[in-house]
Amino acid sequence: MGETGKEEYKIQSFDSETQKLLKTALKDPSNVDLEKVANIIVDQSLKDSVFSKEAGRICYTIIQAESKQVGQSIFRRSLLNRLQQEYKDREELRTRSLQAWICYVTFICNIFDYLRVNNMPMMALVNPVYDCLFRLAQPDSLQKEEEVSAGRAADVPVVLPRTCKKHSPGGAEKPPLLCAQHLLFLLKVDCLVLQLHRIGEQLEKMNSQRMDELFSLLRDGFLLQEGLSSLSQLLLLEIIEFRAADWKMTDAAQKYYYSEVTD
Amino acid sequence: MSFRQRSPHGSTRSSPQHPPRWAQARKRGADGRRRRQNEPESSAFEENKPGPEDGRLDSFTTPEGPGPLSRCLDWGTAVEEDEMRTNVHKEIARHRRKLLINEFSRERKSSSGSSDSKESTVTVELETDEVVLMRRQKQINYGKNTIAYDRYIKEVPRCHRIPGVHPRTPNKFKKYSRRSWDQQIKLWKVALHSWDPPTEGGCDLQEICPVDLCEMETESVGSNSTESQTSCQDNDDTCSGTPTKVRHVDYQAEGEFDLEVCLSEPLKEFDTVS
Repeated sequence: MGETGKEEYKIQSFDSETQKLLKTALKDPSNVDLEKVANIIVDQSLKDSVFSKEAGRICYTIIQAESKQVGQSIFRRSLLNRLQQEYKDREELRTRSLQAWICYVTFICNIFDYLRVNNMPMMALVNPVYDCLFRLAQPDSLQKEEEVSAGRAADVPVVLPRTCKKHSPGGAEKPPLLCAQHLLFLLKVDCLVLQLHRIGEQLEKMNSQRMDELFSLLRDGFLLQEGLSSLSQLLLLEIIEFRAADWKMTDAAQKYYYSEVTD
Repeated sequence: MSFRQRSPHGSTRSSPQHPPRWAQARKRGADGRRRRQNEPESSAFEENKPGPEDGRLDSFTTPEGPGPLSRCLDWGTAVEEDEMRTNVHKEIARHRRKLLINEFSRERKSSSGSSDSKESTVTVELETDEVVLMRRQKQINYGKNTIAYDRYIKEVPRCHRIPGVHPRTPNKFKKYSRRSWDQQIKLWKVALHSWDPPTEGGCDLQEICPVDLCEMETESVGSNSTESQTSCQDNDDTCSGTPTKVRHVDYQAEGEFDLEVCLSEPLKEFDTVS
């Protein structure tokens, strides 16, 4: 695997020994400790948001390789059970680190997207994925967080919002940055809309009722949240329209949300 | 003999007094891992799953799902069952197609005047109950998941099997009563023991017999040897290596054929079947 392979699987952030292990897992899975590999992948996906967005791919490849080579599914089983473990302890994870929680949600959605069983998504993951998205969309958290982790603004386009009047009372002049709470909320909304873009359609097919509930929660968030940054509003509005258009991008939406428009 | 045990919540594996003989020849443990040959392992039926920890329902139904999902708290196992279920559905479809082809080719033969007393042109009802099929498939998997089975299929390619002598996997798509099916499985697994790996108490005599018969078989098939060899070559790919359910569907579906028919019209039959 040359540079393209590394790039494809996003494993640059691993140390070289681990990279070697992963490459072996991809080519010769019966000769590695697949449970260990599964744990390595899950651990990393909780730390590295870039990796968590595409980790499903490397998992898929290892599963195929193992199935072809020895007709087993040890890796898949270890991966899923570890994922389930993290899911059971998700509240603690979320309390410990919001970032890690967001990474987890990204990861489990990515797994849902990539790992299929006879061309069907994994039934067992449907409700857990919904649970995670609901948790992400819950509006209570806007008030609770007080710390901001080192900005993941690299992933998020920085837009200059209006000065945050809500959190800097007195209208004091503040530099045009998102305040901590807004940034955190933005990270959550950003994660949420990304996942819904990727797996919303499939998820809705598996359980449309829960999708309806999720979207009413989003609409409440959009309409009822005070002091939501304009970027968050924009993201939510876009996903609501996206779903209304049957999970497709329309020309109008493309123009409105994604083009440079000079007013 | 009953070795069913549920290990108490939170405890490590308890070893029963005396693991059954077949358990020692199992290729994989209950968790799906390959075992080394001499690893003592407890009964296949011992459950190591913890009891329900959270207050979740034992089974749940998603509105657009296929129906209630079994009580399965473990995602790894749930997905494997999912996979088994969808595979079973694929196999049903495939089996049906093969029966149709089979019937069609029989009709052709009988209309051309050849009498064939073995045929039953009555369409048989198939077993389609998913629950039954899954259960039967699991039982078959237990039997195939053995070192004995591995050795058996390596030693005796499908085309060399002699009906009545070499064990044949029961056909899960046929209608049988529960007792009948369970008995067939039992007899099949007992027969597979002939290929158990040699232990101190092993019966060498049993191991020799199949080999002898095989040699006899090749001798007697002298005139057809080229033909059966070519068709055997085709099958070697499917016969060797770790067995998977999908490969063996062909074999199971061929329950309608027997060896004599195979040998008399080898090329024609295999063309339509495989």
